[in-house]
Amino acid sequence: MDKALYIGMSGAKQNMLAQRAHANNLANVSTTGFKKDFAQARSMPVFGEHHPTRAYAMTERPGTDLSAGALMETGRKLDVAVEGDGWLAVQNQRGEEVFTRSGSLQIDVNGLVRNANGDMVMGNGGPVALPPFDNVQIGTDGTISIVPVGGPPDQLVEVDRLKLVNPPPAALEKGEDGYLRRKPDQALDGPEPPDGNMRVASGFLESSNVNAVEEMIANLQLSRQYEMQVKVMSTANENSEASARLLQNL
Amino acid sequence: MHPALWVSKTGLSAMDTKMSTISNNLANVNTTGFKRDRAVFQDLLYQVNRQPGGMSTENSELPSGLQLGTGVRVVGTTKQFSQGNLEVTEQPLDMAVNGRGFLQVLLPDGQVAYTRDGQFQLNSDGDIVNPDGYTLEPNINVPENATNITIGKDGTVTAVVDDQAAPVNLGEITLVDFINPQGLQAIGNNLYKETNASGDPAEGEPGIGGLGTIEQGAIEASNVEVVEELVSMITTQRAYEMNSKVVSATDQMLQFITNNIG
Repeated sequence: MDKALYIGMSGAKQNMLAQRAHANNLANVSTTGFKKDFAQARSMPVFGEHHPTRAYAMTERPGTDLSAGALMETGRKLDVAVEGDGWLAVQNQRGEEVFTRSGSLQIDVNGLVRNANGDMVMGNGGPVALPPFDNVQIGTDGTISIVPVGGPPDQLVEVDRLKLVNPPPAALEKGEDGYLRRKPDQALDGPEPPDGNMRVASGFLESSNVNAVEEMIANLQLSRQYEMQVKVMSTANENSEASARLLQNL
Repeated sequence: MHPALWVSKTGLSAMDTKMSTISNNLANVNTTGFKRDRAVFQDLLYQVNRQPGGMSTENSELPSGLQLGTGVRVVGTTKQFSQGNLEVTEQPLDMAVNGRGFLQVLLPDGQVAYTRDGQFQLNSDGDIVNPDGYTLEPNINVPENATNITIGKDGTVTAVVDDQAAPVNLGEITLVDFINPQGLQAIGNNLYKETNASGDPAEGEPGIGGLGTIEQGAIEASNVEVVEELVSMITTQRAYEMNSKVVSATDQMLQFITNNIG
């Protein structure tokens, strides 16, 4: 049996995985603050004792596109979008500090500020908690000020400041929960230090940075590649049928 | 089966949900006191197909692994409690809340529901009731021969009874506020119920303690912005189309392999 059959099969299978990565990007075209994943193929040579002709394909995710999405105006005061570089820090359900650009903030019954996922949003001194307020304002540097219940509207009280961080992009990777975090080999000893130069826009959300057309073209290209791999498989099949016929005629 | 099929399926169902949110908003564009919903999306879990840093040979490791997402879901819909426009109706029992806070009505089962819809009328007993006939809480009874009902900004209801010069105080309308109004459960009929997420209602006099004032003779219009909804509708429709394109492309791939091999 010709090994080309297996090579073709591995190519087709890895094409399917790459397509899934692109399909996931496309499915998240409306997800606030979503960062698209790259997918690339690598050749994995498997040289045995014979001619070095076999190289299997392998799909991998070399990284995540960290470019910013467009800002969408919502007018809601607790919606924040990070302008330029930087990330909002939130605490995930396992208690780790992770980073996101999705800033649709909510206030729970205890006054804790949570993101849409229900995870606590970090301030410079731990999770942000707000006392009961009449009005809330998030400044461009992430400072949260409120008018306390019954307080005069001209006396805003500064409560906390959203923790905005700016780790180097090369040190970040996306985890299984969809949040960004430092790669294990880039981890810091303590928590990520806040960066005072970061800016947020209140009343805006950042849209997904997925380019829908790009993802569709990638999917089309992978479809065609897949068909070619199938063609290799069917050719290998025809070859083996032909040799079987030859053997019958002997 | 091809995994992209399932991933695109999550995309399709999330866009479907978003579309129903948008159509519900648009359908309620003229509903008094209606607050628009927004669908909140989130990416689903990622699966590690190949661990980054895994060994490719005894002496080399893979620089990057393969982690594949499993799609998208709608984590929830959030109500936007921004103020709607106040429309002047000149009806004496129409009232709008200008600012934070909810009016209370008593449901037939004895529970209290909260509303921003201030279109009230009188029933045959003289009680102030909402369009469904539920009485305002605290109940205010207007005597039969009362004229010139006045509702003050602080919720005081007065009326002239029997043509006497001094108006009679009929009661006080109170408002309630919640620490997290988005946690309220919408039960339809413009009414909300408290939940664990919304917190307990904090009752108070209108205009004090951060509660809004009551404006007599006005109602609060829906806060749906038609243009915004239409733009969302267009983007949702396109995203839906593109996800369905992936489904059909994937299907063609499976068709191709079954036609060519086998």
